[in-house]
Amino acid sequence: MTRLFRRRGTALAVLTTAALLGAACATPNPHGTMADAHEGDPLPSRVRVLIPYAEGGGTDVWGRFIGNHLGGHIETGTRFVPENVPGGESIIGSNRYARSAGNDGSEVLVSSGTTYFQYLLGRPEVEFDFGEMRPLVINGSGGVIYGSVEGGVTSVDDLFTPSTPLQYGGISITGLDLSAVLAFEVLGLDVTSTFGFEGRGPARLAIERGELNVDYQTTSGFLTQVQPLIDEGRAVPLMSLGQLDDAGEVVRDPNVPDLPTVPEVYEEHYGEPPSGPGWDAYKTFLAAGFSYQKGLWVREDTPDSVVQPVFDAVRELQRDEAFLEQGREVLGGYPIYPGDEVEESVRDALRLDDSVREYVLDLLAENYGTVIAGS
Amino acid sequence: MLDAAASALGGFLDPQMILMLISGVLAGLVMGIIPGLGGTGAVAILLPFVFVLEPQQALALIIGATAVIHTSDTITAVLIGVPGSASATVTTLDGHAMAKQGQAARALSIAFISSMVGGLVGAIGLTLAIPLARPLVLMFGSPELFMLTVLGISLAALLSRGNVAKGLLAGAFGLLIGQIGAAPAAAEYRFTFGSLFLTEGLDLVAVALGTFGIAEIIALIARKTSVASKTGIGGGWGRGFRDVLTHWGQVLRGALVGVWAGVLPGIGATAGSWIAYGQAIATSKDKRRFGKGDPRGIAAPEGANTSIAAGDLIPTLLFGIPGSAAAALLLGALLVFGIEPGPRLITQDLDLVYTIIWSFALAAVLGAALCFLLAAPLARLSFIRFPVLAGGLVVIMFVAAFQASQEFGVMQVMLLLGVFGWLMKMCDYPRAPFLIGFVLSIPLERYYFLTESLYEPTEWLTRPGVVVMIAILLAPLLFKLVKALLRARRQRNAAPASVGAGATSEGTSPGAAGSGTDTDDQGERSNDATTGGDGAAAEPVISEPGPTFTGTYWPMSLAGVFLVVFGGAWVMSQGFGEDARLVPQLVAGIGVLLTLIVGVQEYRRWREERGRDSEWRTEVKWTAHALGWLCLFLAITWVIGAVLAAAVFVPLFLWRVASMRPVPIAIYTSVVVAALVLLQVLADISMPMGWFTPAFLA
Repeated sequence: MTRLFRRRGTALAVLTTAALLGAACATPNPHGTMADAHEGDPLPSRVRVLIPYAEGGGTDVWGRFIGNHLGGHIETGTRFVPENVPGGESIIGSNRYARSAGNDGSEVLVSSGTTYFQYLLGRPEVEFDFGEMRPLVINGSGGVIYGSVEGGVTSVDDLFTPSTPLQYGGISITGLDLSAVLAFEVLGLDVTSTFGFEGRGPARLAIERGELNVDYQTTSGFLTQVQPLIDEGRAVPLMSLGQLDDAGEVVRDPNVPDLPTVPEVYEEHYGEPPSGPGWDAYKTFLAAGFSYQKGLWVREDTPDSVVQPVFDAVRELQRDEAFLEQGREVLGGYPIYPGDEVEESVRDALRLDDSVREYVLDLLAENYGTVIAGS
Repeated sequence: MLDAAASALGGFLDPQMILMLISGVLAGLVMGIIPGLGGTGAVAILLPFVFVLEPQQALALIIGATAVIHTSDTITAVLIGVPGSASATVTTLDGHAMAKQGQAARALSIAFISSMVGGLVGAIGLTLAIPLARPLVLMFGSPELFMLTVLGISLAALLSRGNVAKGLLAGAFGLLIGQIGAAPAAAEYRFTFGSLFLTEGLDLVAVALGTFGIAEIIALIARKTSVASKTGIGGGWGRGFRDVLTHWGQVLRGALVGVWAGVLPGIGATAGSWIAYGQAIATSKDKRRFGKGDPRGIAAPEGANTSIAAGDLIPTLLFGIPGSAAAALLLGALLVFGIEPGPRLITQDLDLVYTIIWSFALAAVLGAALCFLLAAPLARLSFIRFPVLAGGLVVIMFVAAFQASQEFGVMQVMLLLGVFGWLMKMCDYPRAPFLIGFVLSIPLERYYFLTESLYEPTEWLTRPGVVVMIAILLAPLLFKLVKALLRARRQRNAAPASVGAGATSEGTSPGAAGSGTDTDDQGERSNDATTGGDGAAAEPVISEPGPTFTGTYWPMSLAGVFLVVFGGAWVMSQGFGEDARLVPQLVAGIGVLLTLIVGVQEYRRWREERGRDSEWRTEVKWTAHALGWLCLFLAITWVIGAVLAAAVFVPLFLWRVASMRPVPIAIYTSVVVAALVLLQVLADISMPMGWFTPAFLA
């Protein structure tokens, strides 16, 4: 018995060591040859939609919703099957896509603002490159900055000459909050930002409790959650983040057409339109975080014959009243575009000049004590 | 308001609604039974249906599932000590202890009835709370939430079975492990060692299944006995029913604590269940049976966990802030139907809100009733030889843990934590404080920083809610101090007569070391839960019966490991940025201090009990053997993926360890493999891939 134990013990020790050593290794990738498609190949009958966010979240719902409806408008009856790989601020899933996806369209990637931001900031972990992908579908979003009346903010003027210190609450400086922070930078506002909120919802609660007095919400969140507060006279809308048009200019948000945009507020106060690296940074992150926020992407070398059916399906969806009505909340009130129509402007928008990136990284390092590793 | 409530009730006359609700209940029950899948699994299964069903039906489906997950996750927690979901870990204490005494059916019926009551209380609470919920939630600002996390962590002391230093050390370790990943107040990652999957932090499922489940499994596999060491005399469901009647106050209190924990965003179901358990101990006169199969230790947390899911609906519906995976699914579903949760939901879609509440109540009753009917047959599982159960269990647990980040490393982390949990158990550390520390680590830090940067100290420390909680925190300490002083005086008067009674607070008795079953522990266990012995020492005794390493080098070595871990963490945290450094540094520093205290205690104890005949070598061999099998499974998975690994590992294990015959082995294996394939195909549960997984399994 002892001998048996001893022999077994040795074998087990070896096994244990081997398995624990594996801890240093990455997740295995099954040996599969990466699909290599050519012009003329059709869209596969089953498309895996890789969603780098958790089940049930906004981006997940968007990806599933779009996938479901695209399927119904493609003649070959292609099924879009969602697969969630959340984690690491969406880098884990997006990296996996970059590593393993072929160019036959059998796997597509869902992106959101956070994904673009990691890419734009040049996080060292990022292995994906939107410059080497083409968009299939793009859907925008927008944001509104508002203030708390009880917190001493009753108009835009209070931002420039605040009676009580301006307090903004966010989740993380490297997330979508960066757009709001850049807006404050462009306007030259003296805002104290506190990060660590669990989400935009808890930050909104903090506004209601009087812990904060400036906040931003996505337009749909603004219309449903903040408008009641405005009606009660407890909150006041200040400006919209604006939308980037095809020419790369910031224009009014169609969902809140009465609100001035950030550059309008700037011009009103300073008498000239905004400029400089801060402004360029604002526009880039506005595009990435809002105007082109959500999208389906494939590898750049995916043949036209594969992606064309999707573009056509999107064009049909654009005219499908039932779809638009049903998707009011999921699409956030913003149109969806087929990739071929917006490819150029999206790519332009996602290109960040080195000087502008330098400006943002300096801003993060100096004002927010955040150094992006490896940059 | 009443109109809406009534019209929503009328909606249930539609047979299709009922059908959907029942389908949801069944899906939720199944997902709850499978260890580790719980809410996430239910989300994965039900999400696709959201896009094809009518809004009301889809809601009934989702609510049906959410309402019962925490009813059925108790089953494995009680029967095999492996929690079905993270919040069921609390039931592994008393529920599993009861099962070991052959009273699994009694434990299960207490749990199911309490869950049912909890669900009903939750639904009624929701109905009444809706008009009040908004001001209530708003009353709880960052300072109050911060104090609440402090209060939760202070449970560590209450749950530390007599040895406060060890309990606090376990709690500090949990806090430290919880710090892995992104810092809440700074854009910085901590303790990730360059690994991307650790940036999300360790997954709760992996941590709970590891420290409680794996630790239990590796201790039981090689022993080849069944879970229950006695035959099930007098432990039927009728007994459980009477237990609930006796302790109805505990059930109700647990349920109310649950609603509250659910309503507050940011606390979570796991911490909520433990808080309910903690209050049960705190409010009970005789605390010594907690952890050894006390019906109150099942009734209170089980009453809570279903009502937490109910309370969770408030922040989800009123503020659009989901508190769990299941609530996130509900939110997503509402979004698909074009309904944005928010204050207007109450004014515009009140009937929808009531549909949700009534569905919840109905599902909770239905689910508990189904489980109740199954309690007696299920209880028989605890009499099956454990290795027979373990074969499939191992596979399912690793697959479940894999779901979180779908990285191979998660499964290795779970295994490592399993070893750690086993060591803690053997060296007499309570594991409950560890888990509480882990779940509250980031909330504690988050709300501390928010409080600190949004308020002046004089401002937040004087808020009424904070003052009340500080009082709750300090009162027991003062009370204990006074009592200790009184007792010291009394003891001085009545000389050495009662020295022996004090020793019980050490938890497991040293004599049980290595004996395989918990014979010693049963000695002091009478059949009736309410006999309180002499009742002199009112210390809570939470023990997990089993052999300990008392009198060997092991406890001191483990203290050494803790010292290295905390010391290393302290050194590493020096390199973090200002806002990311504070908490890990503090926790590591406290951890080092506690380790030194515990180290000295262990040394003294070793001096006293050194050389006592102990079978620790056998115990270690058994465990290493079991651990080897788990490693083997991981190694095979690494090479060929989980599905094929199951096809290889399960028969091998059943043959070598469980000594089963070929035909049952073949049937068993095909069932496990078929279940995995079904989960993958139908429920979108992803299976770990290996280097050579064939394409059709990908």
